[in-house]
Amino acid sequence: MDLLNHLVLGSQVLFTPINIFFCFIGVLMGTLVGVLPGLGPTAAIALLLPSTFHMTPVTAIIMLAGIYYGAMYGGSTTSILVNIPGEAASVITCLDGYQMALKGRAGPALGIAAFGSFIAGTLSIIGLMLVAPPLAKFALAFGPPEYFALMLLGMVVLIYLAAGSMLKALMIGVFGLLLSTIGMDSISGTQRLTFGILEFSDGVGLIPAIMGLFGVAEVIVNLEEGITRSVVTTRVRDLMPNLQDWKDSIWPILRGSVLGFFIGILPGPAPVISAFTSYAVEKKLSKYPERFGTGVIEGVAGPESANNSATGGAFIPLFTLGIPCNSVIAVLLGAFMIYGIQPGPMMIDKYPDLFWGTVMSMYLGNVMLLVLNLPLIGIWVQVLKVPYPILFPIILLFCLIGVFSLNYSSVEVALMIGFGIFGYLARKFQYEMAPLVLALVLGPMMESNVRLSLVISQGDPMIFVTHPISAGLMAVTFVLLVSPFIPWIGKRRKKLQEKVGGEEV
Amino acid sequence: MEKKINHYNRISALFFIGVGMFFSFYGRTVEIGAWSEPGPGFMPFWSGIILTIMAVFLLLGSFKRKEWQVMPPFFPLADSWKRVLTAFLSMVAYLLLFELLGFTLVTFIFIAFLLKTVFPQNWKRTLIVASATAILARLIFINFLRTQLPLGFLGF
Repeated sequence: MDLLNHLVLGSQVLFTPINIFFCFIGVLMGTLVGVLPGLGPTAAIALLLPSTFHMTPVTAIIMLAGIYYGAMYGGSTTSILVNIPGEAASVITCLDGYQMALKGRAGPALGIAAFGSFIAGTLSIIGLMLVAPPLAKFALAFGPPEYFALMLLGMVVLIYLAAGSMLKALMIGVFGLLLSTIGMDSISGTQRLTFGILEFSDGVGLIPAIMGLFGVAEVIVNLEEGITRSVVTTRVRDLMPNLQDWKDSIWPILRGSVLGFFIGILPGPAPVISAFTSYAVEKKLSKYPERFGTGVIEGVAGPESANNSATGGAFIPLFTLGIPCNSVIAVLLGAFMIYGIQPGPMMIDKYPDLFWGTVMSMYLGNVMLLVLNLPLIGIWVQVLKVPYPILFPIILLFCLIGVFSLNYSSVEVALMIGFGIFGYLARKFQYEMAPLVLALVLGPMMESNVRLSLVISQGDPMIFVTHPISAGLMAVTFVLLVSPFIPWIGKRRKKLQEKVGGEEV
Repeated sequence: MEKKINHYNRISALFFIGVGMFFSFYGRTVEIGAWSEPGPGFMPFWSGIILTIMAVFLLLGSFKRKEWQVMPPFFPLADSWKRVLTAFLSMVAYLLLFELLGFTLVTFIFIAFLLKTVFPQNWKRTLIVASATAILARLIFINFLRTQLPLGFLGF
């Protein structure tokens, strides 16, 4: 009964013309940036965040959340039609999606990606609704050691999955932690490495860092080779999958939804990992695994559902613990703070209208995406046909404006260019950027929690293993860290890391 | 001569040793504090030490004799570096000029310059795309989203 009341409350919040309009703008912008290579949801949120300052928090969050799951829809379109994933989470969709397009089945591939995303999105919202409130109550038992252990685990999971050398992934993660210490110390108020620059007092800006490391660096790498893309130009028609397609896809969609949701709860680039995991599961369960990669619909349906479902799951640590588990959610967390709302265990009780309004908006957003995307695919194809030599200056421009408009600061734009150079060079030296960004996101919270834990325990570091929850989390972290030295697990890691590339978290 | 990954690792390890040592020395200057009351230098100091140790391991490991992965050339094509440098310098120029000349004009110049130099387009296409982008961006960001972008001394 309680749930029903909450849903009614959410609907009352959502169904106002202004909220519906901004939900629409959010999903539309999200899809657009999902389609454009080099621009991710973070860039879109950065571009639109300043325009939300005069809105109510609910309206703003509804729009920003729409961008996030909208981008997941858009990413699949480019994977299928151009063989270039617009979003990291859609990398795996290229394998079978593009092959389907080459065989003249782009329509059903796009259709099943949209329907699968819709079903998965809806299921994950139901999961969010059911899991978040009780988890928030459980999270009240979390103190600084538990928070620290959980964040450390999140980082180590990401490092464990990093492609290539785990040592290098660890190094780049610690480098991120060091960068996150720049700025005013939140406990003592001491300025650290700010060189008198006002902008640095708040720390190294997350948005300049992400746009530099991923947006700018990605564009520059593409410029080196002068990439040419071939869009599948046959008319995309028959978007409705046929009965056989549905029969083949329904279980992958359902499995992908459940998998994505649970992986989404963990810190890290959940949409990416869940899409890869779903593909692996479907291949394993399939009667004809050898046909994967040649254009089977299950290879599109499963991962596309999983990555959408993971976006719903990713909101859970934010709403229940106040922990952002990827960079998009971290930017959203920043937005909450701007509106004076502190996400965490108390948030759902304190701001029920915000929580339930956002949840309800996700239902509506998913319906909008389904209705919008099928007819709009033609427009997205046109966007993709714009040659890269013309597209890239525009993407760079969006990065420049996006970062500047946040705080009207030239220093942050310079910082973005600096991160762009670093990201470009780091790719050459085979360092991954994902652990760096997650460390920048979690760094300040990790630092304050580790210091508070030590104050509580009067300097005894054993506090992290004497508290049961944190001890459990620490144990898993330890196993992951030593695993490369254990041959059996080491081999499994090798297999996993072959699949997960350096992606935007 | 083709380079192998251990050459690259050696260079990056030296960089990170420098970074790690810098932060741990810096941590000492802003007070590490005691274990029971860690100060603002605690995290930079310990993280710096951890980074330095890991980078030393990477450096030592790079001297091991084994089959190292051969790396592709740093710049894939002979003229790649020109495009990379042009793009970065254009962004710096954009940053330096746009408060002075104003958003719309600098956007036009920025787009036109990149179109003409990186993958050279003909003049007609360059001018059409650059003007359309500048005008549309102005309408969207300044007129519609009300983003406070600098208008420059010309007032637009």
